[in-house]
Amino acid sequence: MTALTADRAAPAVRRSRRNRLAAMLPAVVVGLPLILFVLFPLAHILGRSFSTPDGFGLANYAAMLGNERFLRITWNSFAVTLVSAAVAIVMAYAFAYAVQRSTMPLRNLFRMIAVLPLFAPSLVQAQGLVLLFGRNGLINRSFGLGIDLYGYWGIVIASVLYVFPYAFLILSAALAVADARIYESAEMLGASKWRAFRTVTLPATRYGLAAAIFVCFTLVITDFGNPMVIGGDYTVLASEVYNQVIGQANFEMGTVIGMVLLIPAAIAAMVEKRVSAKQYALISEHSRPLVPQKDRLRDLALLAVAVLISAAILSIVLVVVFASFVHLWPYRMTFSLRHYAFDVQNGIQPLWNSIYVSVMAAGIGVVAVTAAAYVIEKFPSPAARGLYFLSILPAAVPGMVLGLGYILAFNSPSNPVYAIYGTLVIIAIANVYYYHAHGFLISGTSIKQISGRFDEASATLGGSRRQTFAKVTLPLLFPTLVGIAVFFFMRSMVTLSAVIFLITPNTQVAAVSVLYLQDRGATNQAAAFSVCIIATIMAVLLAVRLLLNAMGHRNVSLIR
Amino acid sequence: MTDNTRSHRSLYRSLLTGLAFSTAIGLSAAHADAITVYTSYEEDEIAAFLARAKQDMPDLDVNVLRLSTGDLHARILAEASNPQHDVIWGWAVTSLIDPRIGELVEAYTPAGIDRVAEQFRDKDGKWFATTGYMAAFCVNNEVLAAKNLPMPTSWADLLKPEYKGEVVMPNPASSGTGYLMIASIIQMMGEEKGWQYLKDLDANIAQYIKSGSRPCNAASEGEFAIGASFALRAIKNVDEGYPITMVIPAEGAGNELEANALMASSRNKDAAKRFLDWTISDSAVNEYYNWKEIVTVKGGTMPEKFRKAGLPEDIASVMWNMDFAWSAENRGPVLERWQRELER
Repeated sequence: MTALTADRAAPAVRRSRRNRLAAMLPAVVVGLPLILFVLFPLAHILGRSFSTPDGFGLANYAAMLGNERFLRITWNSFAVTLVSAAVAIVMAYAFAYAVQRSTMPLRNLFRMIAVLPLFAPSLVQAQGLVLLFGRNGLINRSFGLGIDLYGYWGIVIASVLYVFPYAFLILSAALAVADARIYESAEMLGASKWRAFRTVTLPATRYGLAAAIFVCFTLVITDFGNPMVIGGDYTVLASEVYNQVIGQANFEMGTVIGMVLLIPAAIAAMVEKRVSAKQYALISEHSRPLVPQKDRLRDLALLAVAVLISAAILSIVLVVVFASFVHLWPYRMTFSLRHYAFDVQNGIQPLWNSIYVSVMAAGIGVVAVTAAAYVIEKFPSPAARGLYFLSILPAAVPGMVLGLGYILAFNSPSNPVYAIYGTLVIIAIANVYYYHAHGFLISGTSIKQISGRFDEASATLGGSRRQTFAKVTLPLLFPTLVGIAVFFFMRSMVTLSAVIFLITPNTQVAAVSVLYLQDRGATNQAAAFSVCIIATIMAVLLAVRLLLNAMGHRNVSLIR
Repeated sequence: MTDNTRSHRSLYRSLLTGLAFSTAIGLSAAHADAITVYTSYEEDEIAAFLARAKQDMPDLDVNVLRLSTGDLHARILAEASNPQHDVIWGWAVTSLIDPRIGELVEAYTPAGIDRVAEQFRDKDGKWFATTGYMAAFCVNNEVLAAKNLPMPTSWADLLKPEYKGEVVMPNPASSGTGYLMIASIIQMMGEEKGWQYLKDLDANIAQYIKSGSRPCNAASEGEFAIGASFALRAIKNVDEGYPITMVIPAEGAGNELEANALMASSRNKDAAKRFLDWTISDSAVNEYYNWKEIVTVKGGTMPEKFRKAGLPEDIASVMWNMDFAWSAENRGPVLERWQRELER
């Protein structure tokens, strides 16, 4: 174990000065786009938060932070966020463990179900919860329970479902690889299974756990969709940002809260070093991949957990699919295709635009986040911590704030980025950086598990770092890369918040069509259109699956 | 290795094609006889209006971006340093009166402006309103029957204790519709009585929903008995088949005008003005009547589904005569007080 811990530090020792300079180059290459597409827009937002009628100053902060109401909604936010994040992490860990470390049947199907909420437009989740648990929902109608979902618990339930797939993806990447030798030693030393889990598995996934906690925390605290639909009168920080920016066109106050929401990201960046210092590489040159052994009792228990969670996720989506095929839920429950006669402008053209944007985002996203994670991990430089902060920072930014930042930063003919402003490309880029932290943390979780010894070994054999990357690291990472590309693809197909500020009459995307239908009162048509988006994504995933099979990567699952 | 290089090259090529493709999309918007219009009209309305516009002006390409009133407000302000549009069309007057927006628009008097009564246009000529919407309750008949509740007819009725927990209305801090409701109540009852009414009403409110249309949808789905929303949403939901009744409050319905304006930054002002002239032409007005409950220009006839939902022929008789300048000026203080005293 000690030897493994030393793995990471070894290559960093005794670097010549020239090496150090050379090491800065990758940091610059990775850093520039982050500065351009994350820091620069946020700097504009920051500027707005200081702008007052009497010039530049702290008056907005004083007005907002000194308000007793602000303290109350901050408390509300924390009450929702901490509970939702904790529940989601426990559920996602169990689910990821079941998928990666057990021999239960249908593991690929369970993976697909786990990420289903990622490619269901947010309307589906909200609509599904109301149809099921609303005051006039299926459960109350069938059992006369009188459950009132709206409020604190409504937000918690919706938030858990919302962040579960993100936590699952990170934890699944963390649990995907393991060195069988450690588990064998543990067994030989007489450790119980529980003890092995506590002393081997949990510490080995420390970084993934920390990343998942951070992601769940920031996702819930920046989300205004669930509080708006299901929160009733329960106000949180994110809905206050919405009130200020959209409800009252008061950017100054909205951006003040936006800035306050960045604090968790700053804290996470500060503790990252301590967490990852304790993370040791799981795959080294001697390791043997852990192949889960059959264990009836354990597998049965995990299967039960997976079935329960899947049922919860599926029931919400399926009730919406079902409702989209009836005449008028819940008043006329006869089969009808009338909601599928879309009369939304441009028909299905936005769906093609979305596929185009999403493929682009998948391509750019994989390169961006993997490069960032790789450079930060393998090229230690004084800039590493700054890069890390920029990489995870977008997670703490509400989409609408990022979208505003993009307008403020790039809507100027003197800015080079203006060349792509108003095109689908900027929408793809906005999606990449909006989800940068999530992709980055999945990627980082995997990269950290690959021993630095490979670099050493390959250097001893006269191989360059590039060769190590191409021949060792990349193949080891390949399954994760596929998973990240799929992640960016799925999110870009349905995401709305930042996109709203970047669409033009010529760059309509499918999620906006859903919004249009919903806004004009055609909720059922909006649900039907969402069902079509879900079907499209499944079709694309199937095509990629066949392509991977044809290329001989039968064992690589689309969802890590 | 060769395979690898080839795939790299083709990836590169497809990226380039992608870039070229999207640049082309971006450039096409700059075509001479094309204008970009920002609007908050609903998407089905836009489609019908634009079909008319295309018939009347076949040589003019009208590119429309639709966003909800609040989203559009944020977007226009954020783009203020380099506006991307020529015309504002069908957008809440209360937002248009925002002085920050006022700086961006230019006075223009379209041909035939006399058709629009003076109360529906800016005295400086910066905007004129052709349509509007008004507050209405969506009342779910099934919920009323199940809970044995009477049909409300006015804001005053909503104070009855039997409606406790069955009324939802938009949160005025997040929704323009919510704000027009409380602004109209304060305007018609007076400062003191108005606020007292809002406090009394608060006892019956189940939720202040953060959207103007969702209260009607919630009532339509049977989540609550009464959803305070706007008339068009009620009409559409009745038409969709939901068991709801539209109730226009007897005291008079608060309302909002949807106005049009010319952007000072427009690079194609002739075309933009042509479009603005068209917005008060007979052809456009006739089409408005097919879709909007309030049309400020005479002409056209109300469609059957409006009448069926219970909209009176003489709309003016049920509308409260809003003081829009008051609404815009007092938005800050009213919302601040509302949040302090009533928001939960």
